[in-house]
Amino acid sequence: MNVAEKPVIAPDSLIGQRIQKKDAPEKAAGKTRYIQDMVVPGMLHAKILRSSRVHARIKSIDTSAAKALPGVHVVLTAADVPDQQPIGVARDHLPLKGERVRSQRDEIAAVAADSEEIAEAALKLIRVEYEDLPVIATPEDAIKPGAPLIHPAPLDADGRPQALPPKTPIAFAGKADNIAMRFDYTHGDIAQAEAESDVVVEDTFQLHYVTHCCMGVSGVIAEFDASGNLLMYSNTQVPFLHKREFAEYLNIDPSRVRIIQPPIGGGFGSKLDIYPFEVICIFLARAAKRPVKMVFTREEEFLASPTRQPVLLTLRSGCKKDGTLTFRQVHTLHDNGAYTSWGATTPFVMMQTFSSLYRVPACDYHTTVVYTNNPYAGSFRGYGNLQATFAIEQHMDMLAEKIGMDPLDFRLMNAQDAGEVTGQGMTFKSCGFKECLTTAAERSEYRKKHADNLANRDAPGPVKRGIGIASMLHVGGGAKIYPSDGCGTILKLDDFANVTLITGASEIGQGSETVLSQLVCEELGLPISAVTVVNNDTAITPWDVGVHASRTTFIAGNSAIGAARKAKAKILAAAAKKHGCDEVELDLRGGFVIRADSGEPLVELARLMRNLHFSDKAELVMTTFYYEPPSVHQDKAFKGDVSAAYAWAAQVVEVEVDTDTGIVKMTKVTGTHDVGRVLNRLGLEGQIEGGVVMGQGYALTENLIVENGITRNPNFRDYKLVTAPEIPEMDITFVESMDGEGPQGAKGVGEAPAICIAAAAANAIYNATGVRIFALPFTPEAVYRALRGAAPKPHWQAWKPE
Amino acid sequence: MTAIERYAAPQNLDEALGILQQGEVTILAGGTDLMPQTKAGRIAFKPTLMNIGRIAGLKGVTLDGEHLRIGALTTISELLRDPLVAQHAAVLAEACDHFASDQIRNAGTLGGNINNASPAGDTLVPLIVLDAEVELASKPNGSVATRRMPLAEFFTGPGRTKRAANELLTAVRIPLPKPGHVARFYKFGTRPALDISTISIGIAGIKRDGALTDTRVAFGAVAPTPVRAPRTEAALEGRRLDAAAIEAAADAARDEVNPIDDVRASAWYRKELIHNMTRRMLDHVAHA
Repeated sequence: MNVAEKPVIAPDSLIGQRIQKKDAPEKAAGKTRYIQDMVVPGMLHAKILRSSRVHARIKSIDTSAAKALPGVHVVLTAADVPDQQPIGVARDHLPLKGERVRSQRDEIAAVAADSEEIAEAALKLIRVEYEDLPVIATPEDAIKPGAPLIHPAPLDADGRPQALPPKTPIAFAGKADNIAMRFDYTHGDIAQAEAESDVVVEDTFQLHYVTHCCMGVSGVIAEFDASGNLLMYSNTQVPFLHKREFAEYLNIDPSRVRIIQPPIGGGFGSKLDIYPFEVICIFLARAAKRPVKMVFTREEEFLASPTRQPVLLTLRSGCKKDGTLTFRQVHTLHDNGAYTSWGATTPFVMMQTFSSLYRVPACDYHTTVVYTNNPYAGSFRGYGNLQATFAIEQHMDMLAEKIGMDPLDFRLMNAQDAGEVTGQGMTFKSCGFKECLTTAAERSEYRKKHADNLANRDAPGPVKRGIGIASMLHVGGGAKIYPSDGCGTILKLDDFANVTLITGASEIGQGSETVLSQLVCEELGLPISAVTVVNNDTAITPWDVGVHASRTTFIAGNSAIGAARKAKAKILAAAAKKHGCDEVELDLRGGFVIRADSGEPLVELARLMRNLHFSDKAELVMTTFYYEPPSVHQDKAFKGDVSAAYAWAAQVVEVEVDTDTGIVKMTKVTGTHDVGRVLNRLGLEGQIEGGVVMGQGYALTENLIVENGITRNPNFRDYKLVTAPEIPEMDITFVESMDGEGPQGAKGVGEAPAICIAAAAANAIYNATGVRIFALPFTPEAVYRALRGAAPKPHWQAWKPE
Repeated sequence: MTAIERYAAPQNLDEALGILQQGEVTILAGGTDLMPQTKAGRIAFKPTLMNIGRIAGLKGVTLDGEHLRIGALTTISELLRDPLVAQHAAVLAEACDHFASDQIRNAGTLGGNINNASPAGDTLVPLIVLDAEVELASKPNGSVATRRMPLAEFFTGPGRTKRAANELLTAVRIPLPKPGHVARFYKFGTRPALDISTISIGIAGIKRDGALTDTRVAFGAVAPTPVRAPRTEAALEGRRLDAAAIEAAADAARDEVNPIDDVRASAWYRKELIHNMTRRMLDHVAHA
């Protein structure tokens, strides 16, 4: 256990207050300048020609007419960039495709022109001859014996495999099968655990494609200066990782790459990888010797930005009659699409949920990630956890029903306490799991409503009411997936006691600027308005791994506190010296140096700062701090305490199911989150409400329809985001478990609220109708079919490669 | 690429019809269908773009003897607020309340919704069950000629109508309802706002002694055009609205429609919705 004592909150403390986001006035006034608004002198506009086929050999590309169009500066194909390097975690993805297209999104050519209109017109003049190849449209087809290969090895002129040096990337060497990645994890004795089980359930679950739908679509501006240094204006969530990777692709020193992030209109994980459009834009800028801007259209964003990982998943779960969970055995088939991005690595998170959400004595987990001709999946808020939780939390209800136990009691019986270590080696330090369950259940009157709904299932009338509960476990103290999970801070105070907080942590709309400012102000006794945050330029800001894994408040927060405490020590030492007292007798509050015991102001901080600066022995208050969490990298068996803290939530979803139409109306969500400690109450509520709605969209409305590799609904008309009238009433409460390592006791919460909504909705629909649905989303037609017994249950023969 | 060579903004009907008579004209009213469709390349601009928005005579709702006359340029928002529509054609206002979003309602016109001839057009089904007629004007040989046609006969396919190229749809006429008139509209979308109908249903008639006469039933989004449903009407006509009659009518409705599978719904589901919601609407009519 590592739990801090909750301090008495000073009346002027900012902790736990409702603080308006620092960027809110700019955004509300429409003054924020996103990348869409940016104009760089001399800039050209770029467009990409994408494949009109799903899987084909490219026989020829003719760009002559496009090049001849007035206003066109550069037209590039793969042949023009022989130095291009493969991108992505598996190095299987060349930005411009020369020989073969493998999905509808594939980039064949790119144009830089005086205007977007000219670039668009030039694309229409490019002639591409294709020779169609058989399409692999499902992951099941990809693993059939004799299935066509998505990345076949290239042959030499005589039709023989080329001799290539070892470690040649897949993009050049090919892959002898369609298996992109596999993950195998186990703890405990599955056979014995199954033998001890009184009840075993097995089901296949099918999780669909959804996509992020950021208001700010993907975009980049690339320019080279006269010395060949690259400057990029980019929406990335991971500027420092990208700086290094772009340098690698361009074969230049990373110090020559600078990334500036304009305000980012949402990320949610979509901006966590490098994509072809960014590299292509750099190539265009290099060829044109001009700045080049490329911004997606909304349709392009649907077609060519990543999706959430679709999953086919077979779960076996067991328990004893007394309610003790015994084991979970999981096989999943991940549709990788044609290229590998972060979606393929979602098993890192999924297996944590299977191994450690509730006490699981034995767990056996296998994922096979296979290439197809479909769109490829990336990282998306929750990172596999929505998919895993959807299966687990339905099985929790099903097991409870089989042994005749109340579903809440069953969960409470298996929920962990602080101090427990899971089979995967996650050590639960602060842990408010049970309190989340009981609070959400009590506030929603879960037990009573659950029983009432069961009693009313067969009452007349087409509309049935249901209530369902689910809980979630996620990293809350960063995640050590890279050798470092750290973040640096530089902090300085000026003559007026204003603070400039220079942090590696990016703001992508999640509110990090505000919460980091709050943490600094709490140390220095200053109002939030005293802080200016600089966080968007790799030439200025210190290292950070990026915005992912719900880590920013925890990691960057601890880093900011570290820098602020060093500044405070320096200030108090100077004040003590000047006023002839001991620094331990002093504190900072309300813009003053005060006497700690009486609260009596000693000197205004701004005045002290000026005195320090305007002297022949001038001293500046400038500090740095680097925070690296005490977590560990997983070992080869995927075991280890990967996060410095873990977060829980329980959510209760109430629905009304119209059995005449299949419409599921989400009427209320009661959520209780173990956030460690509430820092910015307003920001926290906003982030949770937004996450709940994202989870609602995943559960009920959003569905990127991909048929034979073609995305059928790349628009907001037919890809249904939740709209305002559909948003349920929400009752959001917090458990303050006061994490001993967290900044002021707080833990990460960014991804948490979206994770268990779909699972709770499934349980609620079952409570209402007695029908359990194993495939998402619960669109009206899907639900109606299930209610009429006209929906085939997902089926997959669990499989893993030998 | 646009090929507009001439922009015209006539002040009166006579002038507009003269321009139309010259041929090759794209008519612009609210633009809420025209602009996205030309942008997406689904329809091409003709050389003349004629904005009819300044023709005052095409606006407004009036009583014309035994008819309610709605000018073609009346916006969806105006229909929603209009007291005469509320009094004599409330079901049309109800449909307008399910129409797109406020911004689109403020710009989109009734004439535009009709001429766009979408099988899912929100105002079409209620207008058909209200026995609406369209008024078409042209100037074939120097003087203005007008003809009328029942709306139910106006549509020939998706985006296609019987309007001749030299004609302008000037107004919609709806007979004033007789005593006992009831009318209902139902639109099924997968969400409550900003949605295109998966199916829509209009039912109207004179309710007397628990039975419907002069029965009108129409469906949207189940055929290439909005359609009247004669067999469903026949199943209801003159029969007491008891459970058996309602079920028979709902069955007839399901058998009568022949929808397609598309990205929004399967044909099977559309037929199920037609059945279930026709039944629910008739239940409401019976108990009203």
